[in-house]
Amino acid sequence: MDILANLTQGFAVALTPTTLMLAVGGCFLGTVIGSLPGLGPSNGVAILIPLAFSLGLDATQALVLMTAVYYGAMYGGRISSILLNIPGDEPALMTTLDGYPMARQGRAADALVLSGVASFVGAFLATIGLMLMAPLLARVAYLFGPAEYFALYLLAFCTLGGLTSRNQAKAVFAAALGLAIAMIGLDNQTGIPRLTFGAIHLMDGVDFLVAIVGLFAVAEVFIFIEGHGRGSAIGTSLGRLTIPVRDIVASFGAMLRATAIGFVAGILPGAGASLGSFLAYMGEKAMARHDKETFGTGNPRGVAAPEAGNNAAAGGALVPMLTLGVPGSGTTAVLLALLLTLDITPGPLLFDERPEVVWGLIAALLISNFVLLIMNVPMVRLFVRILSVPPWLLLPGITMISFSGIYSLSGSGFDLILMIIFGILGYVLRKLDVPTVPIILGILLGNNMEDSLRRAMVISDGDWTYLFSSGIAVGLWLAAIAGFVAPLFLRSLLKRPEKAAD
Amino acid sequence: MRKNSIAGYAVGALLGLGLTGTVSAAECIAPANPGGGWDFTCRTIGKIMHDIGVVDKPVQVTNMAGGGGGLAFNHVVNERNEDADLIVAASSATATRLAQDAYGGLKADQVRFLGAIGADPGVIVVAKDSPYQSLTDLIDSVKADPGSVTFAGGSAVGGFDHLKVLMALGRAGFTDIRKVKYIGLDGGADALTQTIGGHTQAMTGDISEVVGFLKADDVRVLAVMTEERVPGFEHILTAREQGIDVVAVNWRGLYVPRGISEDDYRKWSDALATVAASSEWAAAMKANGLAPFTKVGPDFQDYVNKVVGEIEQLSRKIGVIE
Amino acid sequence: MRGDRVFGLVVTLAALGYIVSAAQIRVGFLSDPVGSRTFPYMIGGVGLLCGLAMLLRPDPDPEWPGPPAVVRIAVTLVVLVAFAVTLRPVGFLLPAALASAILAWLIRPDLARAALAGVGLSLGLFAVLKYGLGLGLAPFGRVLTG
Repeated sequence: MDILANLTQGFAVALTPTTLMLAVGGCFLGTVIGSLPGLGPSNGVAILIPLAFSLGLDATQALVLMTAVYYGAMYGGRISSILLNIPGDEPALMTTLDGYPMARQGRAADALVLSGVASFVGAFLATIGLMLMAPLLARVAYLFGPAEYFALYLLAFCTLGGLTSRNQAKAVFAAALGLAIAMIGLDNQTGIPRLTFGAIHLMDGVDFLVAIVGLFAVAEVFIFIEGHGRGSAIGTSLGRLTIPVRDIVASFGAMLRATAIGFVAGILPGAGASLGSFLAYMGEKAMARHDKETFGTGNPRGVAAPEAGNNAAAGGALVPMLTLGVPGSGTTAVLLALLLTLDITPGPLLFDERPEVVWGLIAALLISNFVLLIMNVPMVRLFVRILSVPPWLLLPGITMISFSGIYSLSGSGFDLILMIIFGILGYVLRKLDVPTVPIILGILLGNNMEDSLRRAMVISDGDWTYLFSSGIAVGLWLAAIAGFVAPLFLRSLLKRPEKAAD
Repeated sequence: MRKNSIAGYAVGALLGLGLTGTVSAAECIAPANPGGGWDFTCRTIGKIMHDIGVVDKPVQVTNMAGGGGGLAFNHVVNERNEDADLIVAASSATATRLAQDAYGGLKADQVRFLGAIGADPGVIVVAKDSPYQSLTDLIDSVKADPGSVTFAGGSAVGGFDHLKVLMALGRAGFTDIRKVKYIGLDGGADALTQTIGGHTQAMTGDISEVVGFLKADDVRVLAVMTEERVPGFEHILTAREQGIDVVAVNWRGLYVPRGISEDDYRKWSDALATVAASSEWAAAMKANGLAPFTKVGPDFQDYVNKVVGEIEQLSRKIGVIE
Repeated sequence: MRGDRVFGLVVTLAALGYIVSAAQIRVGFLSDPVGSRTFPYMIGGVGLLCGLAMLLRPDPDPEWPGPPAVVRIAVTLVVLVAFAVTLRPVGFLLPAALASAILAWLIRPDLARAALAGVGLSLGLFAVLKYGLGLGLAPFGRVLTG
């Protein structure tokens, strides 16, 4: 078949000793960058653009290196999520929810292996999806107008209610706080600054990386210093490294479902990996029957789902990037920049005009995936050692890395101060049992949600029925309503047995 | 702007290179993330300057995203005002934002505009299956029922993509600009996707943003807003030819700090003029859908002043500024 | 109980403040049907409701830190702010060494270890971040190099 012939050609281009070495090096570097708080895939790819040029790589080699770093960083983000409760980058946010509790129970290695396998499943299947139907899938982006996007974001926020089972007011407050922060900056629809109080640093809004690193990494430092490390996973005794076969088998269905959700979220420009991992996690939790309460306390499926979801989304995001030139996520924006610098213009004709590039890229993705899987299992041994680094060295180290990463965003002290404020906020919120994940989601998705609603209202001249004008939109609304009502309804059903357990 | 910055904001990693203090080679600041027009300006012009030997060392590109170019402008005015080794990418968007006082009170005369050596022509585009066959069709439809057409563009309301539509409609005698429906998306490709998907009726942007879709036969370009037809796209009529006298190009150029000496200014403008005349630049323009547009030195400064004045007036009219 | 009540009050006041600030957002002559203020108003409203809910139905109080821990946290905060402020003018090496050393000492009051953490982290991380990952860090800032 055509695809096989193309793929063979792709592998012929990508499978040379040099490119393989680049793939291995890129995967390693990507994993390290991804795992460092404040440094995400976009950093990794961006740092490598100049490197690719100074090494004098040709287009295919540069692409292999980039995709290796890209996927490596997507794999790596989970490591600090699981070990330290600090997401290495924003798509790894959801992995903290069950990954860190697992680490505290001494199952850090299990969580790392399981999430590594889940990452592989998500990324591998997404690459296959990209390969088989990218030009077709590009059409999906055409189906999504402002009304559909609004319903999609609404769905994400409506399922937030199911995130925590305790005080709903606090979860809703957290989301509102995130949204409130998202409003800061230039208003996309009028070009007028909002809530910036004249500060030029706030014109572009608050960078979500500043918020993540502040709320998680800096807050973690305060928590640790307060309690001398009580309740931290640092110093937990480590079990023997085994492959958690039972967990992998038990959560395989979760991985497949999460892959499907993540891939679709990735295809839609603007939604991206964070939404993919979030919806994958919430979907898995909603589907759980008898062990719903264990989500958030170290349920292996709560580790597998978001990791499969975000890696699948990373693959899915390549679809609009390659076929439409629309970057679906931060990282693909940087990859797009790289392609442009290499004189490759993504667009509807890329698959026809530059097959060697596209199939070389796909082959590179497959290679990176296998390299990462093989590399990750033995590397887990190395990663879990992080927990045995004495805290007096580990915590200042994390702090310095976080500060340097954020400083490199804009080279100003402003972001650092903002990050410290987020750190204090994160500390207080955690004390008061307010979840911090919805804050990040609010910051990440708030503008998209507002913009799509306002665009829809411009198009329809303020006619609200436009929001329900397509089958996709109606379907998403129904799902959103189900996501909002179901937890309320189910909770009242579940309340009695829960009380009995108290 | 905003979502793009989520993007590779982080790319500011490169930025730090410029702050380390050991700048011996010339530096070009692209006030945005890699991949956009400003980044292209720095990388391409910088590379050609070195290739043809008008500078000794490779020009180092620094990305400084923020405030729609405001962060970089602020940086140049307040911290690098006398740095003779510094050039900064600029475009119509820079002029637009300066005119709209979007750089925190900084003014166009706080730097020196060096020159523009190419321009991305403005276009109005519809989907392949759209009923609109010409710019006049589209404008007549807006005149008859402004609610029937929504324009999508890659800039916010009041940005250059939006202004292009308003200028064209204004020249055609439609001045009730509050009725014109426009939505701002995250870049030209996004706006085009919405238009091809039928969610909006027309897209306003730059020709470079539509080239791929044009070749794939997904879109129809109703008009290009240049004085002459664009080389390589001779089949596309200009707005003028259709009786709408509007020229709107997104020029690609540079500015330098205010405080450099007259000699340094001349040195840079000579270098830029040499690039403009080179065959390398001609090839780069062709590959990226840029039309020739060369104004270097004091001429260009006058041009920018004029444009800033015009945009300021228009922006006041539509209420983007008070 | 008290923690949540205080927090609820703070959230309520902050939400009110947010709504007031939202009312100051300039609305252009060209506005879309929804407008610049609608979303901020809605968010402020939701925040207000949440604040009131926390005021009225507080959770049991968490365990707040005792005075020694508060002092440690305050010192941490001062160190972090000082690091943030000095990173650019003084460069990475000195502030990083000092900040790391103090943080290490707070975690384990042992001068030798703190000194080791300070020197080791400052030099080691600088090498990794600057040369390994290409971050834009200056070893010594303008204040020191003149």
